[in-house]
Order: sequence, then structure tokens, then C-alpha cells
Amino acid sequence: MKVKLFHIILGLLALGVLLSGCATGLTPSSWPGIASDGATVYVASATAVYAVDLQNGNELWRFPDKADAKKTFYATPVLTPDGQLIIGGYDHILYSLNPQNGQVNWQYAEARDRWIGGALVANDLIYAPNSDYNLYALTLSGAFQWKFTTREGIWSAPVTDGQWIYFGSLDRNVYALDAHSGALAWKTELSGAVLGSPVLADGRLYMASFDGVIFALNPASGNQFWQFSVGNFVWSSPAYKDGQLYFGDSGGTFYALDAATGTQLWRQQPDSPILGIPLAANNHILFGTEAGDLYALDAQGQNAWKLTVNGKLYGAPLTADNLILIAPVEGQSLLIALDQAGVQKWSFTPVKK
Amino acid sequence: MWDTLIVTPLTNVLLWIYKLFGGQFGLAIILFTILIRLVTHPLMASQIKSSAKMQEMQQSKKWQDIQKKYKGEKEKLAQEQMTLYKELGINPFSSCLPTMIQIPIIFGLYQSIMRALAASPLQLLTLTRSVYNLFNAPALLPLNSHFLWMNLGQLPEKIILPLIGTSIPNPTLPIIVAITTYIQSKLTMPAPTNPQDQSAAMGKMMSLYMPFLLGYFSLTFATGLSVYFITSNLVGILQYALLGKVDWNNLLPKGMRKETPKKK
Repeated sequence: MKVKLFHIILGLLALGVLLSGCATGLTPSSWPGIASDGATVYVASATAVYAVDLQNGNELWRFPDKADAKKTFYATPVLTPDGQLIIGGYDHILYSLNPQNGQVNWQYAEARDRWIGGALVANDLIYAPNSDYNLYALTLSGAFQWKFTTREGIWSAPVTDGQWIYFGSLDRNVYALDAHSGALAWKTELSGAVLGSPVLADGRLYMASFDGVIFALNPASGNQFWQFSVGNFVWSSPAYKDGQLYFGDSGGTFYALDAATGTQLWRQQPDSPILGIPLAANNHILFGTEAGDLYALDAQGQNAWKLTVNGKLYGAPLTADNLILIAPVEGQSLLIALDQAGVQKWSFTPVKK
Repeated sequence: MWDTLIVTPLTNVLLWIYKLFGGQFGLAIILFTILIRLVTHPLMASQIKSSAKMQEMQQSKKWQDIQKKYKGEKEKLAQEQMTLYKELGINPFSSCLPTMIQIPIIFGLYQSIMRALAASPLQLLTLTRSVYNLFNAPALLPLNSHFLWMNLGQLPEKIILPLIGTSIPNPTLPIIVAITTYIQSKLTMPAPTNPQDQSAAMGKMMSLYMPFLLGYFSLTFATGLSVYFITSNLVGILQYALLGKVDWNNLLPKGMRKETPKKK
């Protein structure tokens, strides 16, 4: 009898571990999404979206006020021209918040999966990518207009030239849709999944595939101009500035390419994985590494300055009101503001409620 | 350590199967579950054998006489039980040891499936770091999670209930999980030797709530988990059947069951 009982206890223990496995196995997790309107910074991280005063790093509000493990946020928040803050949650709900106080204007709850990528607001529509394979088009009041289905999840925001919207999917395709009707104009299959948003510049569409290839496509047809391979994972699209493309890979190499030809101009070797899209701002190219180093390079690849912070810099840096904002993962602070010389101005650590 | 020794190797076996069978993750889950069940089959067989021996002992007249004789004397009864074990050459823990070895493998199997599904950026980052150099990981990841009509990385698709108009997760797979779990427990559960036996009552209770619990998991977690549960249940039934330990009679309502002669 005792042995049987032992079996049952083992079974129950097994079930307990299985349960905990369920909890951790699918726990949504990513790095913070940040956006700013020039006066306030909005940070989506774990159980809240925080509004932080850009002048001093003080918290203005948070949504939801009390943490709820079922509601987590990592997508990049987006501000609309009519004064809304659009943020998708890992609870499958897309929220419209009042940027002044964090009150919910409306919510869209018809998607079936997580909102990992940020939305694009253009043409009085919200184009929001979801992991349920769909790109949703909603009005600014949250009414469903149309959706476009791909064969895998969509993890990044689309871009637009006003007439067409372009986005990549984990199904390895880049899509061009009519911005108003959502009708497919063309799709081009790449060699790997597309995790980052495409970049539209100089009449070309640039994006990276996860298997380490940078592509330049014709936005009108989807035909390829050139491609450049690195052999490591590339998590985000390149940044464009003055005819040059900048990107990093999981092997810890940072590249500069000629945007017209795809020829390598120079490369740097920080030797720590680079996941986020670089920031091409003012006179510098900024990018973060997993080791917590923020590099500022000039257009020739020379190191202007380097700052090491506590935590991993997976996300893209952001510039607002002459400040550089970074949001480390597993660091002491959730948000750090630097001046253009890399000197820390303030940091923000949420108080537990 | 757990990760390096169990989860990462199992994840790579899963990826190897995935690659071998043309990037079909559903098929990879099914074959992977069967493979792990096959590898652990000798352990399971040994556990069943030991349990049968134990059950035989509990049904023996000698043991029942000892129980009557030392009723109310727990310590003495335990001593006599150990003596009887020795006499019959039974190691009371020989039926537990295989279970203890199987449990981490089953957890590892489950965790490796969850890891391979990589449903968010940080999970994908973890997966990229779990892949051995044998694979061209950048070309392989993320995995294609389509299988038949299912998306294995997603929750069950929502369906709209007619008349009510409310949408609920499609319960088809969770129902299959619950039914196969129930059938497996009914077919493989040995008949209680003593109706007063507390552990038999607990076992019966578990066989009732486990189908609901696993059905609930299937409803609230990625569909890939349901594929794993169903395969695991079906292979489990097959394993018991091959060992001649399936009692099909148990599926019938009590009144319709054929009486099986009791061993003396």
C-alpha cells in the first residue's frame, strides 16, 4: 500500500512540475518597448506601461495601476495624431490609452495571440501586427477594418510610403499591401524569417532575415536589388542614414554597408550579441550589446564613446528631446536617459506597488 | 545542469527529427514522443512487472492473514511486510525506481517541446542558444509550427457558439486529450486488491480528475502540448497492450463487465 501511495505522490509531484513547466514554458517575455512624444517617455515592460517625465525620470502614471501577471506588455507603444497611446499586450488585447493619465479609451480583443510588435499609425488607420499571423487594420476608434493573414506570426511593425504598407513575417515573406484595402500587391520570400520592421529609404526597401541576410528590394515589385550575408542571426532590420546601412548580428559584429550596392564599408567587433536596431541620430550611430555596452560610432566606424550599463541592451535606443534613452533587460534601472556625450542624466526604476 | 543534461539534448533531438522530416513540427512532436517512450520502455516494463509482483503479494492469503493478525499494530505489520518482501524476493522500491528515472525524461521532453515552440523573442533567443553546432541554426529557426489544420504555437482557435454568439476556444483537441487520458487510466489501472485501500481510492480519484486537468491545459496552452498529450496517451496504451497489461473490460460500465477469475 505504501509503495502505491509513493507512486501516487510521485505522480502528483510530476504533475506539479508539469504545471510549473506550463507556467514557465509559455511565459511571454521580451525586451521593453519605448516611445516618446518629446515630453514623456512611455515604456512597456512586463506587467505595466509606464509614463515617465522626460525632464527628470519621474513616473507620471502606469497602466494597469496594479500589476496583473496575466497582463504583460513589451510591444513598442505608438502615439496617434489624435492623442492616443496604442499598445498591444501579451494578453491578446490591443489598448488605446490616454497618454495624459493612462486611462483606457478603448480596447480591441479579437486577436488570438500576443501583440509582440508595435503598431503603425497612418492614413487614419492603425496597422497592428499580431502573433496570430494577422496584420489588423483598425480605425482610430478601434473598429475593425480588415486583416491580412500570413503563414506565421508577425513580430514587427509595418512601414508605409502612404500608398502601400510593407511588413515581414516569421513565414519568411515580405508583404506589400494596399494601405487602404489591405489587398496584396506583392510578396517576396526571403531565406529566413523576418523579425524586424523593414526600412524604406532612397527608393529601396531594406530588411534582414533571421538567418543573417540583409536584403534590398524594389518597393514597387518586391524584386531584389542586392543581398549581403553574415552567417549569424540578425534580429532586426538595418538602420539607414546618409546612404549607409548599419546593423549588428548575434555573433557580436557591427556592419556598415553601402545602401546602393550592399557592399561592406567597415565593421566593428564588440564581441557581444547585437539584437536591437541601431539608432542613427545626430552625428552618431548608436547600438547596444548583450554585455550592456552602448556604443556611439561615427559614420566611419570610429568609436566616439562607449558606456557600460547594468543589464543587457537588447532593444533599440531612442532619442527624444536631445536625450538618448535605453531600456536594459535584467538591469537595476528600467530606463536610462543620457545626453549626447553618453553622460547619464537620470534613470528610472519603478517602485513596486 | 538540468538544462545542459536533459532539456538541451532533447531539444536537439527534436530539432534533428524536425529537420529529417521536412520541417513538420507536429510530426516531429509525435515521432519524438514515440522515440522517448521507446527508449524508456524497458524502465516502464520493469516497473509494471514489479507492480504486478507486489499486487500478487497483496492478493496472497499469507499477506491477508498477516494483516488480520497484526491489525492495529502498525509497526509489527510493517516488519512482517518487509519479511514477506524478502521471502518473495520483492524489492519494494524496484517499482518506484523506473518511475523516478522516467519522470525527469518526461519533464525534459515536455520542456524541450515548449522551448522549441519559442513563442516570444526571449524564448527564441534561448532556443538559438540551445541548438548544437551540428545544425545550421540560423536557417532552421524559428520552426514552422503548422501541422494539419493546427498552429502548434498558438492556443486553440476560437469558435463562435451558435445561438449564444459567444466565442470560445475550439474544444476538439482538449476533448480528445481528456478522453485519451481517461481511457489510458481506465485501461491500465489494476483492479484494487482491497476496496478499503486508501491508495486505490486516490488512484481512482486521479484517473477522474487527470483527464479534466490535462484537458484544461490543452485548452489554455499552445496546441503543440495537446499533440504531445494525445501521442503520449496513445503510445502509453499501446505499450501496456504489448505487455498484456491492458484490461479492455474496464472500459465497459460496471454491470456489463465480465468477471475475471481472481488469483488465489
